[in-house]
Amino acid sequence: MPAGIPMRMTTMTTIITTDPAPLLRLLAWMSPAFPTGAYAYSHGLEWPVDRGEITDGPSLQAWIGDILRHGAGHNDAILLRRAHRAAGDFDALVAVAEMALAVCASAERRAETIGQGNAFLAAASAWQPVGLRRLADRVGDLAYPVAVGALAGAQGIAEEAACCALLQGFAANMISACVRLVPLGQSTGLAVLAALEPVIVAVAAATRTATLADLGGFGFRADLAAMHHETQYTRLFRS
Amino acid sequence: MNTMSAVASRSEFQRAWGDLRVTLRLRDGRTVLEDLRQDGCLKARFPRPVDLAEVTTLNTSGGVAGGDRLRMAFEVGAGAAACFASQAAERFYRALPEDAPARLRSTVRVAAGGLAEWLPQESILFDRCALDRVLEVDMAADARFIGVESLVFGRALMGETVRAARLADTIRIRRDGRLLLHDAIRLDGDLATAMARPAIGAGAGAVATLLYVAPDAPARLDALRAAWAAGAVEGAVEGGASCWDGMLVGRLVARDGAALRAAVASGLECLRDGRALPRVWMC
Repeated sequence: MPAGIPMRMTTMTTIITTDPAPLLRLLAWMSPAFPTGAYAYSHGLEWPVDRGEITDGPSLQAWIGDILRHGAGHNDAILLRRAHRAAGDFDALVAVAEMALAVCASAERRAETIGQGNAFLAAASAWQPVGLRRLADRVGDLAYPVAVGALAGAQGIAEEAACCALLQGFAANMISACVRLVPLGQSTGLAVLAALEPVIVAVAAATRTATLADLGGFGFRADLAAMHHETQYTRLFRS
Repeated sequence: MNTMSAVASRSEFQRAWGDLRVTLRLRDGRTVLEDLRQDGCLKARFPRPVDLAEVTTLNTSGGVAGGDRLRMAFEVGAGAAACFASQAAERFYRALPEDAPARLRSTVRVAAGGLAEWLPQESILFDRCALDRVLEVDMAADARFIGVESLVFGRALMGETVRAARLADTIRIRRDGRLLLHDAIRLDGDLATAMARPAIGAGAGAVATLLYVAPDAPARLDALRAAWAAGAVEGAVEGGASCWDGMLVGRLVARDGAALRAAVASGLECLRDGRALPRVWMC
């Protein structure tokens, strides 16, 4: 059966190139059940909800779209990508990690990324994050996108997949906060998430060749929201 | 001439270049000028000081165009105190698509126990401007820095809108050798449309960033917030502030340049214990 041999070889090759372990890890780490404490942060959106600026699906989609394109979404995508590529170069990784802490726009934003980054490291201990622990020992606190990017890079997870998963998780977390705060129906929240797909794809594409010099943004009122949130009278969220 | 124009872009002939270096030191209890170098279109003037030593910068090119290159380096020695202000608002004119952005690099070094105040007047951005600006502050652990950068998008009274802009405006602060802040305002595209969006400007036409880096930064947060909350009532300006790591960051989003200037002035009054603004601000 000479024809059967190459067929079997093809099958084996396919199995090797689609090693499911990295995908399983990414799914585990990006699951809302992974204990990073993300549910406690609204990224400042509790303020525009309180002010009546976010009241429905379209207004929520507009705010999150701006944050993805011109705010933390864009910066986090760059930081994840640079950390992923620096996974084998400790000095470069330190530079990314220090920069990630310096680009925070407010005290609560900083607490938000550090809280999740440090929790991510603790929760990922089952995957032996040796390099990531060394990074935390050096820089003190870990920003969340750096923690995810560095570990994904060290454990064979594709950068593109990790970047898209991070952006999707970030958007879903803000939606989840607003579904509870406004409140909105589950189906409205999911419709917003679906509508943001092209934005996530665009931000991922726009950051593919970016360097740390491209960090920055234009999300002035999103930054103001995070600052105002610190003195908001009633607060369900930490940011 | 004709052969030159074949290889150079139109604005290449008008490119401005300037290099200004000012070093100040404490001598017999007074901050004095130790070294001054001025080349090209950048000059410094030294008005008689009211409180602090004052350095007024001048750009004699009459505005910034694509491809301009401006460098400023200021040094404030141990225990010295100085205020740097620009003589006028800076205009960033339209650049050609093939022009490199105007490149502005400023450094401020503040030695132990020193104080530097960075108080330039507004940057007014014209339609299709191209700007790449970096302010780099390098300060000792116990030095103090107060700074502001104001951006006004077009001249509202003249009905101007900034449709396109290539904008990168970065403030980087190192304290005791450690990177404390990297604040970058970046946009490449339709600025007016972006400013209309809810999480960006909600239709505002001007923004500013205020910085206060000193050991007593946390103690100043409430006063700054209160000053801006009072101004927000009339709806022309929104201001917020936050403080961490011995650094206070304030952000303003204003309807226009006039509303922005009023809020910047009230914020600076808070942060500078009521000291008068540099006289060039009043002209």
